Amino acid sequence: MALPAEHVRIQHEQTKTKQWRIKYMKNNAFRYACLASALSLGVALFSIVVFISQTGFLVFKDVSWKEFFFSATWEPFEEKYGAAVFIAGTLYLTFLTLIMCTPIALAIAIFVAEMAPNWLKNVMRPMLDLLVGIPSIVYGFLGLTILIPFIRETTGTLVGDGFLAAALVLTMMVLPTVTRISDDAICAVPQHLREAGYALGSTKLQVITRIVLPAARPGILTAIILGMTRAIGETMAVVMVIGNTAQFGWDLLTPTSVLTSNIVMQITNVQFDSTWNYALYMMAFLLLFISLVLIIIIRQLRPKGE
Amino acid sequence: MNLKSFIKKFSLVALSSSLLFGSSLTVTEKTEAAQQKGKIVVAGSSALLPLTQQAAKEFKKANPKVAISVSGTSSIVGPQSVSKGSATIGACDWDATKPVPGFSAFQGLNAYPIAVIPFATIVHKDNPVKNLTTKQLQDIFAGKIKNWKEVGGKDEPIIVVNRAHGSGTRVNYQMKALKGSSFMTQGENYKEVSSNGNMIKAVETTPNAIGYTDLAYIKGNIKAVAYNGVEATVTNVINGKYPVWGYGYLLTKGPATGANKAFIDFIQSKKFQQGSLKKLKFIPITAMKK
Repeated sequence: MALPAEHVRIQHEQTKTKQWRIKYMKNNAFRYACLASALSLGVALFSIVVFISQTGFLVFKDVSWKEFFFSATWEPFEEKYGAAVFIAGTLYLTFLTLIMCTPIALAIAIFVAEMAPNWLKNVMRPMLDLLVGIPSIVYGFLGLTILIPFIRETTGTLVGDGFLAAALVLTMMVLPTVTRISDDAICAVPQHLREAGYALGSTKLQVITRIVLPAARPGILTAIILGMTRAIGETMAVVMVIGNTAQFGWDLLTPTSVLTSNIVMQITNVQFDSTWNYALYMMAFLLLFISLVLIIIIRQLRPKGE
Repeated sequence: MNLKSFIKKFSLVALSSSLLFGSSLTVTEKTEAAQQKGKIVVAGSSALLPLTQQAAKEFKKANPKVAISVSGTSSIVGPQSVSKGSATIGACDWDATKPVPGFSAFQGLNAYPIAVIPFATIVHKDNPVKNLTTKQLQDIFAGKIKNWKEVGGKDEPIIVVNRAHGSGTRVNYQMKALKGSSFMTQGENYKEVSSNGNMIKAVETTPNAIGYTDLAYIKGNIKAVAYNGVEATVTNVINGKYPVWGYGYLLTKGPATGANKAFIDFIQSKKFQQGSLKKLKFIPITAMKK
């Protein structure tokens, strides 16, 4: 009599272990799927870096690094490969864009998150999402046809292309991204913090500047990083309004050039395996490197323990 | 008879008749042209792209067994990809078997002219200057003449708009209009643009600008300036008075063979040159007196 019962028990345990095994397998498969996704991104990034740097560093066979980084004479057909104008230009343009964009974006985000009535929020947020999705060539085209003649007429400058036009177009482009992410960060600040502030007699301004913004700081920094990387890498809109001339444009109104615009202007027009081609690859590598450094710097700015 | 069955019957009739008609057409075409097989890859000049695309469409109809792919990026890509072997035909705005300003000659390629492309100096429509000489153009584009009044215009600074180095239009303009003299490279009255479209936009919106483009693109708020007293028109190009034009070339590695030869012959044929090519605003090569 004991036999059948034992048999049933064993069978039951077998099915049980089978079920467990399937569960384990599923669990493992999921783990490996996630790992593979993460790895493929890593491999892609790694191969981009290897490929670009391999080609790019060939430039130093013909050009000294001193000339490449510190000379401002970019005349490739005369064998002069000084990229200082473009490197400084990229940093300067990104800096200008952030200076113009951050205060406005923050103000809009605070308005949408803290002050606007609900119906207006429901209009503003989809509108900002739509603005994020507008292709950069559209912004560039508007800059070329509307902004540049306007700048020329108001400032009396000759051409109108330059850092001012580029920074304004970039600000316009980056603004919705920074605003939306800051908005989310501000909304994520717990309501009880604000209520505690009001209970202690704070005004709205005090609550926003002393409680909400410090609490939302990590999210706002992320927004600025994303906006910044977009500004550094933006090409099509910039190339249409910057003037594409290898000279410094500190006064904001002289036609000049940055890394991205110079690469896109010239990369299809140079011979393969020429020093010029390598120099353009080196500039692409520098772009990667600059955005990496800027991201690290901003991450370091975050308060510890977050 | 209800409407549905009527539509059914009608479409049946239409379909069968079109099939009959279509098949009879292809039959005549098949007998007309010798059937070609093989692969044709065209790469290079974007200025010649409308032409090669149209030719590919028509050539494919007559030779369904040929696989053709056509793309356009920039002139220098044409000879480069043919030399490398990634394309069988390269399209280029200049004869890449000879050296031109900024580019050395490519060895081992054969060049076939397929169209005549005229170029013109352009200014804003409101600019009173009607004519410029070779010397004046050389000095303007070199940055030596800086004010319109020096060439008979208003007392306004000249803004020079140039194409990027390597543009086929720039190479031709530099060779034919400026006789090989160099361009300025910087200054607060100088800028470069990335395409014919951007060139036109820039001159259109800048009253004191000077630039150059393909003759076919000129309309709207820009106008062509006469060159040494000769108006930039198709007629003046054909009768030899207006010298600022260039041939568009197709290049092959060594002499063209098989399907590639047939394709080039097709583009050079009288039928295509007088038909589609003219419609696309190019000038037939046969129109030029040699």
